[in-house]
Formats: sequence, structure tokens, C-alpha cells
Amino acid sequence: MAELEVLLQVLFWGLYAGCIYILLATGLNIIFGVMKVVNFAHGEFLMVGAYITATVFFLSGINPYAIIFLSMLALIGIGAVVERLCFRPILGTSKLNEIFLSIGLIYIFTNSAAIIWGDEWQSIKSPYAGITIPIGSLTVPFDYIIIMVVTAAILCALYLFLKKTKTGREMRATSQNRKGAMLVGINVERIDIISFGIGCALAAAAGTLWVVSGQVFNPYMGSIPAVKAFAIIILGGLGSIPGAIVGGLLYGIAENGAAYYVGGIWKDAVSFIILIIVLVIRPTGLFGESGD
Amino acid sequence: MKLTANFTILFLVIVLIAALFAGCAQQAQTPAQPKEIKIGAIVSMTGPNSNIGKSMWQSAFLAADEINANGGIFVKQYNTKIPIALVQGDDESNQKGGQNAATKLITEDKVDILVGGYSSGVTSAYQQTVAEYKVPYIVTGASSPIITHRTDIDTSTVFHHCPTTDAYGKYTTNFIDQVIRPAVNKKFSFPADRPFRLALLYQDTAFGQGVQAAVNETITKNNLNIQLVSQQKFKMSESDFRTPLTVIKAANPDALYVAAAPNEGAQIVPQARRDVGLTTIFLAVENNDAPEYYKGIGQYGEYSIIESRFSPYTAPTGLVTDAQNAFKNNYFTKWGMYPDMMGASTYEGTYIAAKAIENAGTLNKADIRQALVDLRMPQLIEYMKDGTISFSKDFRESQFNHWMEQLYYNSTIGETRPKIVWPDNLKGTDFALPAWYKPGSA
Repeated sequence: MAELEVLLQVLFWGLYAGCIYILLATGLNIIFGVMKVVNFAHGEFLMVGAYITATVFFLSGINPYAIIFLSMLALIGIGAVVERLCFRPILGTSKLNEIFLSIGLIYIFTNSAAIIWGDEWQSIKSPYAGITIPIGSLTVPFDYIIIMVVTAAILCALYLFLKKTKTGREMRATSQNRKGAMLVGINVERIDIISFGIGCALAAAAGTLWVVSGQVFNPYMGSIPAVKAFAIIILGGLGSIPGAIVGGLLYGIAENGAAYYVGGIWKDAVSFIILIIVLVIRPTGLFGESGD
Repeated sequence: MKLTANFTILFLVIVLIAALFAGCAQQAQTPAQPKEIKIGAIVSMTGPNSNIGKSMWQSAFLAADEINANGGIFVKQYNTKIPIALVQGDDESNQKGGQNAATKLITEDKVDILVGGYSSGVTSAYQQTVAEYKVPYIVTGASSPIITHRTDIDTSTVFHHCPTTDAYGKYTTNFIDQVIRPAVNKKFSFPADRPFRLALLYQDTAFGQGVQAAVNETITKNNLNIQLVSQQKFKMSESDFRTPLTVIKAANPDALYVAAAPNEGAQIVPQARRDVGLTTIFLAVENNDAPEYYKGIGQYGEYSIIESRFSPYTAPTGLVTDAQNAFKNNYFTKWGMYPDMMGASTYEGTYIAAKAIENAGTLNKADIRQALVDLRMPQLIEYMKDGTISFSKDFRESQFNHWMEQLYYNSTIGETRPKIVWPDNLKGTDFALPAWYKPGSA
């Protein structure tokens, strides 16, 4: 393999990793943008999405990519329940409450998943595993092309929802000024539930794509992606969806670039070094606005 | 009247002191017999290593059950058998969890002896506590030599009942030199002096570094015709190996030796073959001889190699075959699954603990430690050097016999199953290069 070919291949892996990060971070950013709550348990929604996908796949054998809709729907419901029962009662109180609540949720979701599905590592095999597509000098697995297309499609759908629907506009209004939104008659509590549900659904989509890419999963898988998602939304700018997209891609590419140039053990460190540099130069993140 | 009262008080004080001294004397002569012997098992019941941790715990539990079914351990000091109470310490697959588990078992549960310990990084983190309380500890999972070689703390109570990275790193490198290299040269008509192109992918921990050091040292020390064309490392519990595998592929290796935990190894092989298109022979470290590894690698693992000393799915014919199969069957009956290699050594570790206590004839920790130093017991379910379990005088390490397995895909079960291919006295079939295999090139 020529040097350039290797670099392009590494870039491709970075784009794939970026897709998972983008979905997870965008969901987290929607929740934070609208409700201004810190949810460290966001990675656990990815984990639940992964398990729902795998369980339906094992039981029915239907194409795992089709299960993404079911997984997202299920997480909208779970997210709505979590918002109503857990986050709403503490909304507007100390940030410490949110932090400890979400840490509690991590344990509840992790242990529940371990009881329901067991804590063994699991994986599924995509129906397209083994199919490769030539792109220029590269030969890449078909699954990763689908993952990138699905991610782009979800982001487009989200964009249209936020721009073209009444609920989407209400979400943006609540995100920009919660009190103002209330004054013009927007039911912000309804918007909170919808936002939390959509945020969880995006995490579920990330979980489904994680699973179909052949990566193994177990109940403890959510914590590291969640930490990275937080770093991405800080990097991109709190509450900014374009920031989450650019930040996610940047993270995916930086991680894999670091693994290539300086070794795998620098993967996480390089991403956080980028975060520190961006925050020193632009404390609000790449796309953040002051006062966010 | 006053005189009588003073006399009474004086009498009571004398009686009290006498009773106190009598009590002390009696205690010194015949200490109270404990209701149970506490064996602490430090295992990863939660976290990324929980599969292996459960196998270790369930194996220790099975051993304790079997011993208790015979009444327990005979302790000469009390002239009776005392049952084992196995106490679990979950290290949560991390160093802090390990420290908490060891501290609780030693200071609160007051265990008489410890077994278990997986991941050298985790185990070495709580060795200070073990040293401080001088608790005998039979390590059955963590394989870095530092466990008993380190000099920064006292390791004299620690006994290593699993092969070290030095041992199996050397063994695997010799297999590559003596079996894979000639097979590749023969199949592709390469000259006999062509250097074999080996790549390494290893966990950046004491375990992975130990394997890397052993491979490098074996090549250099024995002047082997093996060239290390790429040495990539990754952090513990990594799940995306595509970039280091791409770098390895670019180096054109003849084979890839992976030093990883089963949850990592089970992802490396599919990512290498399915995503990166690496058509080479993969060699795995013995801890991967576990059901979860076979399940994870699926068909992608066909023709790959595992260095082993205990497999859930095969056993060499010999003296311990029946005992090994009985252990597997009893384990399956009790837990509904097959044990892995770490389970096997922890099962033996529990029996070793029981034997040491019996030989010591007391629950005094220093005596139990000495009994472990002097221990010579027949091999149980794994093949030991000289057929005996004993610990070396220098670093208190037991000596195992190893073998190499090659995996063959079974379409009925959708997984690979191992066949022993080396050494000659144990093998069931010969090592084979698959049709899809492509050798490396400079």
C-alpha cells in the first residue's frame, strides 16, 4: 500500500468513527440546547439502542439497518419517560443534581441491561459483511458506506424537522430563549419531552450503526462514547448542531490520524488536546455563541 | 464492717485478674476453632473483563463446592475438617475497584488466603495491600512477570499459578519459527533463508508489553530468522483497531501476533479480515481460548492460531484428559456454559489453597505461605511440567505445558473449533495454510 493510500484509508476510518460521534453528540446537544441539562447517561441510550437492534435481529432476522427505525422509536419512548420522571423534577435546580442523577441513571441502565441481556460481549453479522466497494484506489466495506449514507440521511431529516415543522421551530425558539418561548405560548414542557426523546433516538441510531458495523457491545459500552460526545459538543459549541457535526468528524479523523502517526495509545489524548487548543483560542467552541 | 467491705473488693479484684489471666492462658493453648476457612477470590465480576471474571468465580465456586462436599479442609491444629467459605471481591475490571476489593477482603472479611486476579495492571495496583497484611495470594489470571518479579514491594506471599508473558511469548515465537515459517517457505517456494515478516499488535499494558518484550528477546537471543515489520500498540478496552491494522497491512506481514484480551481479540480478527482485508495468519495469546472469543471471531477466525494450555473445546490425550473433561462437564452442569482458561487455573488455585492450608495444618498466614513454598502436588486439570504443581524457588511461578491450536470453521454451530497442531507429541493434525492466505513482501 502506498503512503497516500494508507492515509486515505485512515481518513475513511475517521469518517466512519465520526458518523457514530456525530449522531451521539447531536442528540446530546439537542437535549442540552433546549433543556440546558447535563446528561452523562447519554451513552447508555446508545447501549440500549444497540441491544434493541441486536435483540430484534436475533429474534426476527430482518435486516438490521431496517431496525434503526424501531430502535429510534423505542428510545423516543424511553427518553420521554426518563425526562418526565427524572429530569423534569430537578430542572432549574443545581447542576450537581443533574450530574448525580445522570450518574445514577448510568448504574440503573447498565445493571438493568446486564440483568435483561447478560453482560457478555455480543456482536451481530451484517447481511452485507464481506461486500466491498472500490472507491478510487481504496476498497472499502459496503457497510461503512451505508453507515455514512444513513447518518447523512438522519441529519438531513433532523434539519428539515427543525426548520420546516412547527414543533421544530418551537424547539429552536425554546433553545434560544426559554422564557421568551413560554411568553409566546410555547408549551416548553412538551418541547422538553420531545427534545429529550429525539436526543435519545439519535443515540439509538448511533447504537444501531455501531452494532451493524460489527463492533462488539455489552452493558458497559456507553461510558467512553458519552465522554467523547461531551468533548465534541464542547469543541463544537454547546447547543450548536453544526458544531456537533463538525466536532464529531474532527474527532473521528483526529483519533485515527493520531493512531496512525503517533500510535494507538494517543487516540483519546489527541482529541482532548484539540479540545484544549480550541477552547484556549475560542472559549465558546467552534460554533458556539457567547452566552450559550 | 469497713474492713469486710475492703476485703470483699480486694477478693473480687483478685478473682477478676485471675480469671483474666486464666482466659488468656486458655486462649493461647487452644484457640477457638473457626466455623469456616475464608478464601477470598478477587475477580472481575463487572466491567470489560466480566466474562473472564465470572468464569474465574464460577470455577473457584465449583472447586469450593467439591471440597466442601468432602467435609472441607482438614486442619491438623483443630484435628477436624473445616468447610470453605468463598468470599467474592469484584475488582470491577479496574485498578481502583481492585484496590477496594482487596482491602475489603483482607481487612473486613479477614480472609485466610486469596486466589484470582486478572489483568496485570489491575492486580499490581493492589499488591501493596496484600504485602502489607502478608496474605498468601495465588494469582491465577494476571500473566505479567512483574507480579512476582517486582522489587518495589514485598511479593513473597504472592504465588503465580498461570504462565507468564515471557513463557508464552517465547513459546509462540518458536512455533512461528519452527512451523509457520517453513510452511510459508514451502508453499510459496521461498528460499529457506528468507526472513519471516511478523507483525505485532499489543495492548499497551504490562501484559501486552510483556508479550512484545518476550517476542523481541526470543528473536534476538536465538538469532531467529524473523523480522518484526510492524509493532503497533493500543490502549486497554479499545474497540476500533482499523487504523493500526491498516498500518500493519501496509507493512506486508506474513503473520500477525495479537496480544489482547478476548473482548479485544474478538474484534481485531473480524476487523482485520472483513474491513481491512488482511489475509494473513493471526496468532492469539492463550487468554483468548475462551467461549466469547470463538463467538466473537466467527468465521473470520478460521485458520487462526491460539497458544493454549486449556481449551473449552479440545484437550490433548493424556493423564489429565479425564479430569479436564470432568471439570468442563461439571462446570457446564452447574453454570450452563463452558469454562475458559482463567477459570481452569482458578479452579486449580482453589485446590492449591486448600492443599496448602492442609499441609500447613493451621490458619496462620506465615505457615500457609511456607506450605505454598514447599508445595508439591500432582497436576489436576492442566498439564504441568513434570506432572507436578509446585512453585519455583526464585519467583514462585508454577510451570505449565503449552500447545498451539489452529481453528477450523464449523458451519453447523457457526463458530470455529480448535485442533491441536503443535507440539508433535500432542497434536491431532498438522498446521495448514488456508487457500486465501497471502504472504507478505518487502
